[in-house]
Amino acid sequence: MVALEEEARRVTLATLAEIAQTSADTIRGGQRLREDLGMDSLQSLELLSTIGEALKIDLDIEEAMGIQTVDDACAFVTRKYKEQKADGSAVRG
Amino acid sequence: MRALVIGGTGFIGTNLVDGLLAAGATVRVTRRKRTATILLAKRPVEWVDGSLQEPEKLRRAMDGCEVVYLAGAYYPRYSLDLEGSLTEGVDGVRNACEAALAAGVERFVYTSTIATLARAPDGRPADERDIPDRMPEGSVYRAVKWAMEREVDAAASRGLAAVTMITGGCIGPGDVRVGTGSVIVGVVRGLLTWWVDGTVNLVDIGDVVGAHLLAAASAKSDRYCIAGHDVRVGWLLQHIALRYGGRVPEMQLSADEARERAEQEEREAAPRRQRVAVPRELVDMATTGQPVSSDRARAELGLTLGPLDDALDRAHAWFVRHKYVPPREQQRRSDGSA
Repeated sequence: MVALEEEARRVTLATLAEIAQTSADTIRGGQRLREDLGMDSLQSLELLSTIGEALKIDLDIEEAMGIQTVDDACAFVTRKYKEQKADGSAVRG
Repeated sequence: MRALVIGGTGFIGTNLVDGLLAAGATVRVTRRKRTATILLAKRPVEWVDGSLQEPEKLRRAMDGCEVVYLAGAYYPRYSLDLEGSLTEGVDGVRNACEAALAAGVERFVYTSTIATLARAPDGRPADERDIPDRMPEGSVYRAVKWAMEREVDAAASRGLAAVTMITGGCIGPGDVRVGTGSVIVGVVRGLLTWWVDGTVNLVDIGDVVGAHLLAAASAKSDRYCIAGHDVRVGWLLQHIALRYGGRVPEMQLSADEARERAEQEEREAAPRRQRVAVPRELVDMATTGQPVSSDRARAELGLTLGPLDDALDRAHAWFVRHKYVPPREQQRRSDGSA
């Protein structure tokens, strides 16, 4: 389970850094996607789409729209990744 | 029927994809390395790599498609760089048109905007006849969109079976980047600090999609205005506040003041890549706005326009569901305690 959490967090931070055009090392958990990283709503959806494709999981847009911070994003992706690994649905693609 | 949608994850694009699927079409959608595919999750679409900057990929994406919809052409997010915006906008449309000519598609449907129209003479509503013979001045958005439309016309003169859909401000579900829907989000969340009056034309995204499908199947002309409902900005803001809560700002600016203010706010927001509450292109749209007739689309395509309030309600419900604005009851409590 720890490995899943680490993988989900690593993929989330790397994708965040790419889309926000910054270094993953400089991203902090409390940073807000919009105000601090300059991401608009479409970029947030590109983020989740890219993560979903990388981890082969389905992420729900309505749940995802409540994400505000980097920690929110990591927690959301980790929860979905673990859930879908557990029930065997994380095999898309 | 197999259709390619370029820009299928945008506001118009996602609605168009759903409309095409509902009509039984096989739908292909272009995507870049990073695309918000989540917006079309669980739809049976075929994703193909390609962008407006990649002509050869576009041509391959069009292989076997009878119809190509260019629903996601360039939209300048800031009105600060005319030359750069012109280059990006025009090159992208040109690439798509060249690819469509090379692929021999039967119909190319291009989504444009009423911002490209000239002022109609004699006080009549503007329509498809009102094409400026020169690039509009004083507005990056209007200039770029006008130039992009001329690329489609140029390709049509070389044999592309193009039809241009000159749409009003689209209202409805799926406005992810908050385009015209910014009037709803801005009023309900109290984000607006000023406003400028003028005429805007609002159209239900469902009507726009319907018109696109009808045009692909049976267009008799090369362009159609799908303008929707002509309303004054002041009326619209009050109407939204009464219907969904929120507030209309007290400060009303003149057209010149609004242009200056919007441009200044965009200069400050651009380095942070943020959108401003009232972007310059919306100021340009409102202050140069005019009534626009959709009569040709009604007569030739059989277009019918739904009530404005239905479109506003569906847009508001979508913004609530996706947490752009609070639910109506929560908003009323917030307004009451303010």
